Amino acid sequence: MSVQFTGKVLTIATEIANNCQGLEAPFCQAECPMHTDAMGYVQLIREGKFDAAVQKIREKLFLPGTLGRICAHPCEKVCRREAEYGQSISIAALKRYAADKADREELWDTTFGHATGKTVAIVGSGPAGAQAAIDLRKEGHRVTIFERLPVLGGMLRVGIPAYRLPHAVLDFEYGYLDKLGVEIRRGVEVGKDIAIAHLREQYDAVILAHGAHIGMMPRVNGSDVAGITNAVEFLREIAFKRQSNVLGENVIVIGGGDVAMDCARSALRGGAKQVRLICLEKECDLPASKHEQESAAAEGVLFTFGWCVDDFLSTDGRVSGIRMKNCLAVIDETGRFNPRLGGDTHELQCDTVIFATGQRVADIADGMLKQTSGGRYLVDKDTLATDVPGVFVAGDAAGSTIAIEAMALGRKSAISVSRYLQGIGLTEGRNFALENSYKSKFEVPLPPDVVDLKRHHPNIMPAERRIQTFDECDLGLDDTTAFKEASRCLECECKDCMTECLMLNDFTHCPGELFSVFLAKGSIEAIVPYSCNMCNQCTLVCPKEYKLADAFAGMRKDFVKANKGKSPIKGHGAIDIHQRLSFSRAFTIRRKGRK
Amino acid sequence: MAIRRGFMPGCSLPSYSPANISKTIGFLQDVYPELSVVQKCCGKPTKALGQVDLLKARFGSLVQDIKHCEIDEIIVACQNCLNMLKESDEFQTVSLWERLPELGLPRELRGKAAQSDVVFSIHDSCPVRDTKGIHDGIRWTLAELGYKTVEPAQTRDRTRCCGFGGMIVPANPDLAKRVMDRRVKDMPTEHIVVYCAACRSSMLMGGGKAWHILDLLWGPVVTQASQPPENVLASPVKAWLNRYKSKAVINRTIT
Repeated sequence: MSVQFTGKVLTIATEIANNCQGLEAPFCQAECPMHTDAMGYVQLIREGKFDAAVQKIREKLFLPGTLGRICAHPCEKVCRREAEYGQSISIAALKRYAADKADREELWDTTFGHATGKTVAIVGSGPAGAQAAIDLRKEGHRVTIFERLPVLGGMLRVGIPAYRLPHAVLDFEYGYLDKLGVEIRRGVEVGKDIAIAHLREQYDAVILAHGAHIGMMPRVNGSDVAGITNAVEFLREIAFKRQSNVLGENVIVIGGGDVAMDCARSALRGGAKQVRLICLEKECDLPASKHEQESAAAEGVLFTFGWCVDDFLSTDGRVSGIRMKNCLAVIDETGRFNPRLGGDTHELQCDTVIFATGQRVADIADGMLKQTSGGRYLVDKDTLATDVPGVFVAGDAAGSTIAIEAMALGRKSAISVSRYLQGIGLTEGRNFALENSYKSKFEVPLPPDVVDLKRHHPNIMPAERRIQTFDECDLGLDDTTAFKEASRCLECECKDCMTECLMLNDFTHCPGELFSVFLAKGSIEAIVPYSCNMCNQCTLVCPKEYKLADAFAGMRKDFVKANKGKSPIKGHGAIDIHQRLSFSRAFTIRRKGRK
Repeated sequence: MAIRRGFMPGCSLPSYSPANISKTIGFLQDVYPELSVVQKCCGKPTKALGQVDLLKARFGSLVQDIKHCEIDEIIVACQNCLNMLKESDEFQTVSLWERLPELGLPRELRGKAAQSDVVFSIHDSCPVRDTKGIHDGIRWTLAELGYKTVEPAQTRDRTRCCGFGGMIVPANPDLAKRVMDRRVKDMPTEHIVVYCAACRSSMLMGGGKAWHILDLLWGPVVTQASQPPENVLASPVKAWLNRYKSKAVINRTIT
């Protein structure tokens, strides 16, 4: 039976399909570049279902314990508790809690697709390269990672200090690559030991995900003396040896971001007597996260805000001090980084200087690919394809700045490579918006019984003990605190009608989905509209007060019209008879009362 | 000229209980001696199926009957009839359950159940979720009779469907049964009072013990030892026989 649905039905269906809140992801999940179901695992933690929580995290992230420690957690910035009360859920800390509590190899999904016969070379084993390797391996491609260093993880391993991310945690989680059968060639530097051109010949596709591992230093007079280094080299040395050959006793770190904090705090742990951080910005404009800044201060790092290094002083070929000028403004009128210096000068003594002033991407492509600012390769931002067929870029080399973004770019590059290998167009029918952070349109009023509950914080090792060691200083949430913290989640999803209506649950996940499918197909099974009780309980609980019963009633009319005046439902033959009798002379009567 | 009243019992009530029809007409006649009565369907099931043209003809014939009886104000015992007539805006329409408190109960009924050991859970009909006067009238009547009552969490304007709505019983019986079971589970006590005969049938199908409010008004006092009247509507033969008997009652009473 072909049913022509009328304007009214289509109007209601379109409105619901476009705006039903049941289709909206929670703020945290939409914001996460990998779209981790944070609400889902937070709920499972609250219910004490830790294995399920870990599995929920692992649906999207192979690094639960790592990201639980070091993720910049954009999800927390958009958490509804943040928006309403300025106290987001400790999403990252809860992720770490679940991972520490329950993650083990038996929970890992190590299945992968049938061999495709296609091969992919990935340069770099950081979060982007590893994610791309996992996604492509899962599809059955043969994947080889080329890693310059003897260890895996890229900046996670040699950029982030062990007191924030213990190596054991990272190494354990990277074990997943082995389980999946990703081939890894350590100690091979692409661009030196193997040329990109060679990889292109040997493999069906290549992804460059080698990160930004060149420490940048501004040109300053007198910097060609000993005792001056950059963050990348310093932190890498610290990662391998927990010591640094360049490190003296009186250290100056230049820079105001989280990397500068990592350098300062690592220098203290490496044995420096005094560490001072100097940055252009005023205290209130510091780019570093507040948490990192406070931790550094608690450990004894000294801060000098609003100064710029102008000149180095040296003795016997080693740096012995810096000369600074005051900084009046960091950003110019056009919004660009363009520090304006004043006339004040000041000198400080030191024996070591570490620049934490940015990182560049090394060119390993031998000029084959165009580079832009910071050495990043010029790519199509939607597909991460380069001008060279079969060569893609991911991670910091393509512009990410935090690990979770790097992973999302890794995934994006894998989607592109997968299409490339199958000969499918890179953009065809692809929803790019969902491959990155997006804003949730969730707008349901707060339930009236919601109150402001304080955010719970993990246990932290005392500062005086922290600086003695590279052991992890964040001790995580304990059981009671984790439960309380997980219980604060406002569960930003709209399932009110699905909770109320039994019928909808038999046919869909939410009305938005039901009517989207109806509109896309232009049809619906008759049993769906004819299963509605017309009780309007859905409308009663719907924040938008959508009248589903009206849509279903309209559909019924259209079905009847297309079915010669009768309901298409078999059982309704009985109603027809019933109605005929109910209007028949045998069972009806009208009796006029006396005057 | 005096307002002429009419009574319309609907379909499920005459199919359920000719005795309740008889006693209700008698009660109304005491107050309105000129009372007319119309027993006919309002066409709500036809409407629910989506049969627009049939509905027009069927509802039209009901309007003709009411007009024939020269009724100014029609008192209705079925919530669907009430809404259908109100929507048509042809007559002054009032629910029997709203009218009861205005008329008052016969003296001999007041407090008759004061000694009953039953606590009734009240199930409101979902089509009149927004008609507070009906909810109040039902509670007033139960209090006058002397019954103790309790409200489920979903009550009055938050009431839930009994499972009968939308003509889904013949279309999707398994789903209808689950809706009925859930509504019975909503009830805080074993004994349930309703004011729609179809709701009563649903409550019985869902495993509850349910009485129509007219059973409580005109019938014996319900105690813990009482069993609810049988589910007449589940048997088409009995239901149609009752409908015919109710017609005969009307034929006999209104002269």
